[in-house]
Amino acid sequence: MIFPQRWCMKKKQGRLFLAVAAFSLIACLSANASAQSILGNDWEKFFTEKVSFGGYVENTTGLSISHGSRYFNTSNRFIMNRFVVQPEFNVDLSEKFKLFLSWRFVAEPRYSAETKSREASVQPAGAGGPLPVDFYSEYKGVPWEAVADIFPNDRLHVRIGRQFISWGETDGARLLDVINPQDLTFAPPAAPNLFNLDETRVPQWGMRMLYTVRPVSNTIFEFFANPGFEAKKDRVDNFAPTNDIGDGTADGDLRYGRWSSHPEDRTSVAAMFANPVGPVPVVVPLAKRDYPDAGDNWKIGTRIKHNFGALSVGVGYIWGYNPQASDMVFKTKGVPFLLGPPGSPTPTGIRLRLVNDRTNLFAAHFNYPVGDVFGIPIKSAMRGEFAFYPNKPYNISEFPAKDCTTNTVFLPPNPRARRAGPSCDHPDNLVEKNTIRYAIGFDRSTFIPFLQDDPWRAFRMTFQIFQTIILDHEEGMRSFGHAQKINQVSTLLTFRVNTGYLGDTILPDIFIGYDVAGYYIVNPAISYQPPWNEKIKMTLTSAIYGGRNKYKSLGFFSEKDSVFLQLRYQF
Amino acid sequence: MLAILLTIIVGIASTPLRLQAAEPDLKPGDKIGPNNWQRIQGMVGENFLNRVKAGHTIEIKQPKLYKPLKEYADATAKYSGKVSLGPNGELLNYVAGQPFPNLNLKDPQIGQKLAWNFFWRWLGDDYQTGGAVKGGKIIRYVIEKDGAERRADLTSYFIFPKTRYMLDPKPAIPGYEHIDYMQLRVDSYPRDAAGTTTLEIRYDDPKRADDLYIYIPSIRRIRRATTTQRCQTLAPSEFNLDDINSFNGKITDFNYKFLGEKKMLANLSQERMPFPRKTGDYLPLDEKWEVVDTYVLEITPKDSSYCYPRKVLHLNKMTFDTHWTLIWDKRGDYWKEQFGMFTPVKLPDGREAWSVGDVTIVNVQNGRSTIVTSTRAYNQGYPISMFSLATLETVMRGGSIR
Repeated sequence: MIFPQRWCMKKKQGRLFLAVAAFSLIACLSANASAQSILGNDWEKFFTEKVSFGGYVENTTGLSISHGSRYFNTSNRFIMNRFVVQPEFNVDLSEKFKLFLSWRFVAEPRYSAETKSREASVQPAGAGGPLPVDFYSEYKGVPWEAVADIFPNDRLHVRIGRQFISWGETDGARLLDVINPQDLTFAPPAAPNLFNLDETRVPQWGMRMLYTVRPVSNTIFEFFANPGFEAKKDRVDNFAPTNDIGDGTADGDLRYGRWSSHPEDRTSVAAMFANPVGPVPVVVPLAKRDYPDAGDNWKIGTRIKHNFGALSVGVGYIWGYNPQASDMVFKTKGVPFLLGPPGSPTPTGIRLRLVNDRTNLFAAHFNYPVGDVFGIPIKSAMRGEFAFYPNKPYNISEFPAKDCTTNTVFLPPNPRARRAGPSCDHPDNLVEKNTIRYAIGFDRSTFIPFLQDDPWRAFRMTFQIFQTIILDHEEGMRSFGHAQKINQVSTLLTFRVNTGYLGDTILPDIFIGYDVAGYYIVNPAISYQPPWNEKIKMTLTSAIYGGRNKYKSLGFFSEKDSVFLQLRYQF
Repeated sequence: MLAILLTIIVGIASTPLRLQAAEPDLKPGDKIGPNNWQRIQGMVGENFLNRVKAGHTIEIKQPKLYKPLKEYADATAKYSGKVSLGPNGELLNYVAGQPFPNLNLKDPQIGQKLAWNFFWRWLGDDYQTGGAVKGGKIIRYVIEKDGAERRADLTSYFIFPKTRYMLDPKPAIPGYEHIDYMQLRVDSYPRDAAGTTTLEIRYDDPKRADDLYIYIPSIRRIRRATTTQRCQTLAPSEFNLDDINSFNGKITDFNYKFLGEKKMLANLSQERMPFPRKTGDYLPLDEKWEVVDTYVLEITPKDSSYCYPRKVLHLNKMTFDTHWTLIWDKRGDYWKEQFGMFTPVKLPDGREAWSVGDVTIVNVQNGRSTIVTSTRAYNQGYPISMFSLATLETVMRGGSIR
C-alpha cells in the first residue's frame, strides 16, 4: 500500500525526473545544432554562445493588520510566507529557432488563520478540514513557461508551447487581457505593486502566430489558439471569493484562501435561485464549480494591428472559453427538491453549477501620443481598450423575493421578505445582455522639481477609467455569488504614480483604485535597490481596502488590510 | 575713426577663431599629470582636468587616422550639391552622404550646417550597438559618488532606411523615405529589466515627434510612451533621451553657433572594451590619448524650458563624431561632462571603419557617473520587418532578437 504522502513524494520525484530529463533532452538536441559533439570545448562553447540563464529567488512575508471580525480574526497574523524560485533559460539554437524555458517552484506553509476561518464557517460545523499544505505551492516538473519561437521568414513568427498571450493597453487591471486565466488565490486583488499581472497569470498551452503584413505601418496579423489541454482548474481564474463554492467533495473545490470573502458574507445564495418547496423556509445550495471539459474549452482569436500615422489601432475577435471569474454565472440544474422524505420538515435543495461560459469577444484598442493641444502641453500617451460581449450571461433575481405562482411579494413575518429571491420572469435565473467594456488611460511623465533630488527625474503618472455598460439592462441583475445588484454602468478609476530617488535606489510607487459605487484599494509601495548590487530588491508594500460595505467590489477585502515585505534576488 | 575701430573690434569678436587652448605641442609618449596639467588645459573637460590636477596621469599616443568610406564619399559628391537649408533650419533636398562637405567657417549658417553634418555622419546602413563588444551586448555601469556600482546589459539595433550606402536597396528602402532612423533596444540584465524592448522611430518631418513603443514584460504588453519630455533622466544613468550619441535631439528644435576650431584630446583607437579602471571610478587607466582637430558647436534650445540651456559639442573634423560634450545648467553652472572613445572595427567586407567604444558621462554636481561600452557592429543586413511592433512581442526575458 502506498500512503498518500509517499505517493505525493513519488509524484514529485517523477516530476523532478521529468524536468531533468526535459532539460537533458534540450541540451542534447541543442548541441546538434551548433556542434558535432557535446563534449569538451564544444559543449562549453554552446553554453557560452547559445544559452543564457536568469531568474530570481523571492520571499514575500505578509502580515494582516486588519482588526478582522468575529468570524475572521486576522489581526496581526502572518498571512503570507511565500518562497519562490524561478529559473529561466534562453536557448538560441539558430536564427530561426529559439527556446525559452522556465520553472516556477513555490513553497508556502499552511496558515492558521485560514484554517480557523474554514473551521468556523463551513456548515455543518466541523466539515471544514485543514487546508492541504501545498494549497499555494507549485512543485510541478512541467515548465512554467516553455515556448519554441520559430521564424520561418522575416515576417512570420510562430510561438508554440506553454505561454502567455496578453492583449490590450491597460495597467494594473485587465480588460482585454482575458486569454490567460489569472491565479488570485495568493495575490491580493488589484494590488499590482505586490504581484504584477505577469506573476499572477497562469500560462496555457497554445500556438500564436504573428505575420507582419506591412512593416512600415506596423500592420500585423495575429492568430492564436489555446487547445486547453491544461488541468481543468488551470483554464479558469482561480479567484479568491469563488473558491468558497464547492460541493465539499475531495476534489479541492472547497477552499478558504486568504483572499476569500468573509465568512459572514458567504450568504446562502440558493434562496436567490429557488423558493422553498416545503414548509421549511430554507434553501440549501448543492453547488459545484463546473470546470470545462476537454471538448469545450478551445479558445481561438485573431487580431490585426495597424498604424494610421501616429495612431496605433488594433481590432480583434476571440471565441472560446472566458476564464474570468467576474464573468461566471450560476446555472441551476433541475428543479428545487426536498432534502428529505415528502411531508417531513426538511429544507429545499437546489443544484447549482458555477460556470464560465464560452464567449464571443469583439475587441479593439488604440494608443496615440498627444502633444500640445491649443498650446496646452498635454504631452501624454492616450490609450484605450474596448470589448463587446454579445449576449453575455448574468444571474438575475427578484428584489424583494416574490411568490412567482401568485406574483406577490413576500411580506413579514415570512422569512423570505425583504430578501432577494428567484426571478419570476426568468425561470433559469439567467439573462443574456449585450455588454460593453472599455477603458481609457493617460500616461504622462511630469517634472515636480521640489519633490525630487534630481529635478529632471520624472514622475510617471497614469490615470485610467474602466466602465462596463450593460445594454437593455434589467432590474435585478446581480453577480452570481451574492445579492448585490449590478448597475447598468459600473465605473472604476485608477491612478498610479511612481518615481525614483537617489539614482533610482529608492523607488516609491502608489496605485489607487476607486469604484465609484463607493469602494477603494490603496496599494502603496517603496522599494530599495542598493547602489552596490543590481540584483537585490526589497519592497515594502501594503494593500488597504475599504468602502461602503463588505459585500461588493473591493469591499470584499475590507477586513484584510495587510503589509508585505518582499525580498528578491535576481540571477 | 571710432566707427572703424568699433567695426574692427566687432568683426574680430564675431569671427570664429581658434579657441584658446594649450599649445598643441604634445607628442606621442608625453605624460601629463599633476605637475604639467597646464599642457592639456582646454583640451579636455574641466572635470577631467581637475582629476589630472589631482593625480591622474595620461599618456599621449600617435593619432589614429581613418579614411572616409568610399560609398559615403561618393554619395556626398553625388548629392550634396543640391542640399540647402530651409527657413527653419530644416534640410532640403537631402538624399545621402554628408549634407555640407564644403564648409565656409564664416557662413552665418555654419552652426546649423555642422549640426546636420553631425546628424548625417557615417553610421553604416545599420548597426548593432554592443555588437562588437565581447558577449554582443552593451555594458553599462552606473557609479555612485561613493564608488558603489551597478551593472546593466542591453543591446540596441539601428537602421537608417533612407541613407543606404552598402546594403541593398540603395539609397533608400522604398516606403521608408520619411524615416531618418529606427532603433530597437532590448534590456537583458538584470532579470527584472530583461525583456524590456523599445522601438523608437525618428521621422524626417521636423514637426513630428518621435514614436516610442515599449514592451513591458511585467504586463506583457506594448505601451506607448511620449517622447516630448526629452529631458527626463534615464535613471539610474545620468543620460537623458537627448544625450544618446552625445546629442540626439531633433536638429530643428535647437539653435547652433559655431564657436571655432580647437584641438582636443581624444582616443580614436581604444584598446580594451570596457577600458580598465579602478572599481568605483570612471577614469580610464592604460588608455592613451591623442590630439584631434575639432569643430566646436554650441547648442541652445528654442524651447526655454528645456533642461540644457547650453551644450557644447567637439566634433571630429573627419568623422563628425563627438569627442567631448559639455553641459551647463540654467544657473550657468557646469553640470555634465561626456567623453567618448572610439575604436577601429571591421565591416563585413573586411574594410576598416570606426565605432564609438566607451562613453562616459559625469554629473559633476551630484558626483554620479555612467560608463557605457557600446562598440558597434555595422552593416548586419537587418530586415526592415525587424523594426516593427511584432518584434517587441517576440523577445523573451533575457533573450535576444533573431
